[in-house]
Amino acid sequence: MPSDRLKKLIDCLHDNHDAGCDCAAAYKEFECLAEQAVRGVDIHELLPRVALHLDLCSDCREEFEALVSILGEDNEHRVNE
Amino acid sequence: MRTGSGPINYMSERTNQEWLDALHGPPTIQEPALQELTERLQRGIFYYLSRERSDLSHLAVQDISQMAEDLAQDAVLRVLENLDSFRGDSRFTTWATKIAVRVAISEMRRARYRDFRLDDLTADDELLPLDALNTSSTQSLSPTPENAAERDDVIKKIDAALKEALTERQYQALDAVVLRGVPLEIVAERMDTNRNALYKLVHDARQKLRTHLETQGLSIDYMLDLFQD
Repeated sequence: MPSDRLKKLIDCLHDNHDAGCDCAAAYKEFECLAEQAVRGVDIHELLPRVALHLDLCSDCREEFEALVSILGEDNEHRVNE
Repeated sequence: MRTGSGPINYMSERTNQEWLDALHGPPTIQEPALQELTERLQRGIFYYLSRERSDLSHLAVQDISQMAEDLAQDAVLRVLENLDSFRGDSRFTTWATKIAVRVAISEMRRARYRDFRLDDLTADDELLPLDALNTSSTQSLSPTPENAAERDDVIKKIDAALKEALTERQYQALDAVVLRGVPLEIVAERMDTNRNALYKLVHDARQKLRTHLETQGLSIDYMLDLFQD
């Protein structure tokens, strides 16, 4: 759909990717950041460049959210044991 | 980066060093650790597939369980291959789960995009299809009559910029990843590169395009304003 693609294109030009890191740098921080996210820490305050990357990169965001979800469930599972 | 404190209680869990010692140890010590790790990753993957993946909701529990088992075994192999890269600044199991998540999601992506070919994109249509270029924008973007012509003019300039400013590879990457939402991982495989390099390729394409458009007098804020609903 033309308007959809056009808007995506303009949006991507507007997003400030310069302030974020790349996928590899973000991935290195996933485990630390996910543990803190499960504890309720604001990851934008903790590692803003990685958090910005997660905002902009859907591949990395999908993986990070899955990790946080599993850790959260694991945490609950253990607390209830 | 141990800044948070919370309710996590892992009293009975192996320490990171105990995990590493066991996984590097002789079979009598390694095998129980591998079994424990596999079960733990399998449980996490099963939770993710069964609770967080609506696209798998049509599958029977046994099928998801089997998927989780297979993926956990793959993940454990990947963990063992990468043991030396564990930095020790998180729990070992968190790091292992990170690897399992990537294994699982990669598999899901590959299954979903099994038939995806980059050639299909260009065969499909133009980046900004002809109906966006040749018809009045009133059909696709519902502008007021006053700015319909202005929008058409800008769309033509954007289309020209895509062809003039970007290499074929940048154009292809931008089209697939940004405009069509194909995962980086899938596009990277098809382009014979890796995910990080592709991210940078798209980043460079975005910068070149933005600079090119700005030299044409088209600022991003202006275009956002022009095409807002």
